[in-house]
Order: sequence, then structure tokens, then C-alpha cells
Amino acid sequence: MTPEELVAHLQEADASFVERSDIQFGQASIWVPREKWQACAAHLKDCGRCHFDLFTFMSGVDWPEQNEIEVVAHVYSVRRQHHLNMKIRVAREGGTVPTLSEVWRGANWQERECWELYGVEFEGHPHLVKLLLPEAFEGFPLRKDFLLMTREVKEWEGREEPGEPGSSPRPGRVPTAGGAATKAGEH
Amino acid sequence: MGLVDKLDVPQPIKFVLNWGRKYSLWVMNFGLACCAIELIAASTSRHDFIRLGVIPVAHGPRQADLLVVAGTLTDKMAPALKRVFEQIPEPKYVISFGSCSNCGGPYWDSYSVTKGVDQIVPVDVYVPGCPPRPEALLEGILRLQQEIAKESLKDRFDRADRQPIVVGGHIGPVDLSNR
Repeated sequence: MTPEELVAHLQEADASFVERSDIQFGQASIWVPREKWQACAAHLKDCGRCHFDLFTFMSGVDWPEQNEIEVVAHVYSVRRQHHLNMKIRVAREGGTVPTLSEVWRGANWQERECWELYGVEFEGHPHLVKLLLPEAFEGFPLRKDFLLMTREVKEWEGREEPGEPGSSPRPGRVPTAGGAATKAGEH
Repeated sequence: MGLVDKLDVPQPIKFVLNWGRKYSLWVMNFGLACCAIELIAASTSRHDFIRLGVIPVAHGPRQADLLVVAGTLTDKMAPALKRVFEQIPEPKYVISFGSCSNCGGPYWDSYSVTKGVDQIVPVDVYVPGCPPRPEALLEGILRLQQEIAKESLKDRFDRADRQPIVVGGHIGPVDLSNR
């Protein structure tokens, strides 16, 4: 199915599956409400037209402004050769997502990874312990407010946005005759 | 080791011993990332470090003389590296191969990467590059063999002035004033 057909099919199957949908770069994304997360996954796997048999990847996006974390599950159908991003938004503190590990076995480790890196709890997960990080590691390193100590103690080029007032000239760039590089529209 | 590292061996015998040691370096391949591919390339027919007397690959750390750390060492892997290093019998040498193992490289600000294997094991030769070409490893091995040829096993353990070799850099203390 094309991405458009996929979204239309899901809305037809159960209108409450799709809170919001988006098609970017030929890939369909759907935002699923929390109470439908597992039901939607089960439908995607079991429906003959969808036939999403491969749980490819689970990732996350931290949105500090909204105080939310978006969990993104990438699923793929080997037989139908189409792809879908299932997205769900949870609160940064204490947010939980129902586990998909009962639908796709492959989601088990992906959810453990997502849990240790973003701090999202997966409700009903059979074995939610650290997968990649050392056991003594504290904090959730892929959150945007995670402090990288090396950046704090060492001067680095990316600290300032290029062209900011008072920023140092970038290495290899020759300053113009009029001083530092001027932005368009400042004259 | 026995008498060799307790007595001051006469120079001709020392020369023969070191000559034998430097052309029989069993290498422990501690390949961790893409640099390991370059290390393997250095061992195969085109670059062929076997002609320099480096023998790939030791069956385990207990049979090895030379540890080549090639790739990104993470904090979780660091205890394993320490353990492998401690299993290698003396005299042992360490080559740090590639930017990641030298200083963290492109992962200098990462939350999980050890910034420099010299925090874990003492390094004899640094080979810079991302990844270095196999020739750079050959250069590092040659420089290490020059060091081995000069070495006295008796003095090996109480040499405080031991300076690591930096391939492509200068020998001697590293100038940190401009950092």
C-alpha cells in the first residue's frame, strides 16, 4: 500500500487509531492514542492487508518545551513492502507506554534501549533492565537536558552558533574587510 | 621472567635477546570498531605485517606480546580491556590505534566512550588517524621494534622517563601549552 492508502485503511479499520497523521518523504506517520497503542499494533500485525511482520526500530524524540517525549516505533512489512511510523507522546516525568513486546518479539530489546536512554517506562514489559548502558549509569543520556561533562569542561567550536554577536571566528574562515561576517538584512 | 630481568645482561646477549623478541610479536587483536578492519588489512597479504615479525592473531591474551587497541573503547568495555591487558605476560606492549582509542576521537563528548585508552592501560605507541591507514600501523610497529631493540629488561620496570611514541609526531614530551 502507498502511505496514503495505509493511513486511509487504518482510519477505516478503527477511526480512533489515528489521532493525527503525516506523510513525509514517502513515509506515513501516525500518532496513536495511548489506550489504542497495543490494539493498533495488533491490528497492524494481524490484518492481511497491513501485514507488518517486522518491528524495525524504536526511537524517541525529546520535546522539552512541551515536557513530552515522543516514542517512535518503525514497523515494516516484508511481504507488502511498506513502512509505518507509529508515534505516541508521553509525559517526560512518569510517562508510561504499553509494551509492544507481546505483539512483536523484537520490540523487547528496543523498548529496553528506549527506556534506558529516554527514561520512558514500558508498562507490562517482561524484563525492563538496562541493555546497553553500564548498570551503574545514572540519567537518561539522549534527553536534551542530559549534561555532557566533557562539553562543560572543554572549550569547543559548537558552543556558539556561527554569526552570533561576540562569537569567535570559525577556523579556516578569513574575516571580511568589514570585520566579522555580517548577516543579511542588518544594513 | 627470571634472571633476565634481575641481572644486567651483557650487551651482546641483550642484543640477541632483543633481536629475537622484536621479530616475534604475537599480536592480540582488540578490535572494537572500524579501525579493526585496517588492522586486519595490515595483517593480510598486501601490507603483510608478518614480514616484520608480527604474528596475527594470538590464541588468547596469555600467548600474546602486543596488544593493539583498535577502535572506540566504551566505559562498559573498559573493564574487559583491563582484564585482557593484565592477562598478557610481561614484557608486553600496547599500541593505541586510531583517534578513538587515542583520545575519544569524534566521540570526544559522548556519554559512553572512554576518552583515551591510556586511562586504562599504559600505551607505548599512539597511531593517529580516523582510521589510520595500515601503513601507519606498520610505522608504529617499526618504531616499537626500535624501542624493543634498545630495551633492557632489567630497567624496564623502573624507567620513569618512558615516553610514548606518536607515529607522525615527534618523540618526546607532548607540548600541551597551546591546548
